[in-house]
Amino acid sequence: MERRSHIYGVMGEFATPEQLTHAVEKVREAGYRRLDAYAPFPVEGLSQALGLKRNLVPLITLLGGLAGGVGGFGFQYWVAAITYPMNIGGRPLNSWPAFIPVTFELTILGASLAAVFGMLALNKLPQPHHPVFNVHRFSHASADRFFLCIEARDPKFHLADTARLLQSLHAHHVSEVSDD
Amino acid sequence: MAAQEYRAPESVGRLQQRALTVGGVALLVSILGAVRTPGLFYQSYLMSFMLILGLTLGSLGLVMLQHLTSGHWGIIIRRPLESATRTLPLLVAFFLPIMFAGMKYLYGAWLDPERVKEEPLSDFQQKYLTHGGFITRAVIYFAVWLLLMALFNSWSKQQDANQTDRALRRRLKMLAGPGIILYVFVMSFAAIDWVMSLSPHWASTIYGFLFVAGQLISSMSLMIAVVVLLARAEPFASVLQKRHLHDLGKLLLAFVMLWAYFDFSQLLIIWSGNLPEEISFYRTRLYGGWGVVAVIVLVFHFFVPFFLLLSEDVKRNAKVLPKIAVWLIFMRLVDLFWMTRPEFTSRAMPTWLDVVLPIALGGLWLGYFAFNLKQLPLLPLGDPKLAEAIEHHER
Repeated sequence: MERRSHIYGVMGEFATPEQLTHAVEKVREAGYRRLDAYAPFPVEGLSQALGLKRNLVPLITLLGGLAGGVGGFGFQYWVAAITYPMNIGGRPLNSWPAFIPVTFELTILGASLAAVFGMLALNKLPQPHHPVFNVHRFSHASADRFFLCIEARDPKFHLADTARLLQSLHAHHVSEVSDD
Repeated sequence: MAAQEYRAPESVGRLQQRALTVGGVALLVSILGAVRTPGLFYQSYLMSFMLILGLTLGSLGLVMLQHLTSGHWGIIIRRPLESATRTLPLLVAFFLPIMFAGMKYLYGAWLDPERVKEEPLSDFQQKYLTHGGFITRAVIYFAVWLLLMALFNSWSKQQDANQTDRALRRRLKMLAGPGIILYVFVMSFAAIDWVMSLSPHWASTIYGFLFVAGQLISSMSLMIAVVVLLARAEPFASVLQKRHLHDLGKLLLAFVMLWAYFDFSQLLIIWSGNLPEEISFYRTRLYGGWGVVAVIVLVFHFFVPFFLLLSEDVKRNAKVLPKIAVWLIFMRLVDLFWMTRPEFTSRAMPTWLDVVLPIALGGLWLGYFAFNLKQLPLLPLGDPKLAEAIEHHER
């Protein structure tokens, strides 16, 4: 029984963040687009080198904040002025200054929930497994090593050539990443 | 790079000349108002004075804040900030007319024995709000600010010559912390004396903070406009980067929010208490013509700048950001109009003096500021983080 093993990509391991950023730049110059870099800490300039575009998190956060604010104010208005109108110290039913603190809190709540869950959704998280974990040494990505993975989906991907390219960029180890 | 002197470009000299001319002419025209309608004149004068006081003292606050944090944003604007603080002698001069001639038109509510008889003051107020007390305290306020201004400016200048002197750096930091407290403390008292005492029967404990937050907005707005103008020519053209504007824009957003927070806190507490002597402040200001001004302040001093400044693109845009900044300085004037004028009239319309006097005082202030800007290098050469602050980043 032969089971056909798919290749997810090729992964190179680097010793320093500078080597990683350099490799990312060179690989992108060579025309590769489907790639991702992994590092134990935020590396300055890496996002730019990867050409990461703006994402939707700010917009989702804004919408969440607006929904929280409008909803918070609307709910208080509905309760205090429509369903259960009550004269409190002669103030108008729509006693708006008193509604602002709750409106403010719900704006923050809406914005932060939208930011966290929007970020998770855009990252397709939670995700229990990812092919890069098939590479044994990848656990070093959260300790002391820097990884660059070029995915097989990339139109320019060629197993041997891509591996050679990574090698030429001073990758310590170059490994195939299997898809299962 | 290191040997560069960062002299101010010639455009600063032109700005100085134009501002002084416009300000001088406007001041001459306004004297007509001082002779014919001294009451109206001093109402506008106080408002204009508080605006330019904000530009100066807000800068003093930001100078101390930047010494405490040593952020790159602060190193970029430190010399413009220091130049703004050095206009303080002009503020002293501008205060003299209020002290010697304007008091009786402005502070009749506690100065005029007839009015005090009608609406009596408390024992403490009668002892505190006196002609002599007002003047003595004003002398103390200006002395404190002048001292802080002189120390920060002279140490900063010494630092240019002794770049390796760590003791100077420490001394600047050591004074900055207590200095900020002192500035806010003294400004609170000054706001009570000069503005809140227009209506001595009303009191608010957050009043001084309203002015401090407004002053920080004024000063940061001015700094954004100034660095963008300076960046039209060398040496600032190759110094100023988008990341600097981004930081200044973020701080401006923070100050706008701080101001709104203080202003709203005052309203919320008074609204909740609903006591006759407190609510009078908002009875006059939230209804009728003044209510329209209140909505204008809410929308254009808070909502519009707030939503615009939320955007990263706007904060990094050297064309849009200074426009918002200048707009906010104008809104500071409208806010001061709304704070002071309802004590004198129920008519929410500016007089011609409300146009001429801000131009007069503002123009002379700007001219003096430009003059100060030419005196020293545009960047603090002795700051140990200068190289790092002007290093070019991709973002």
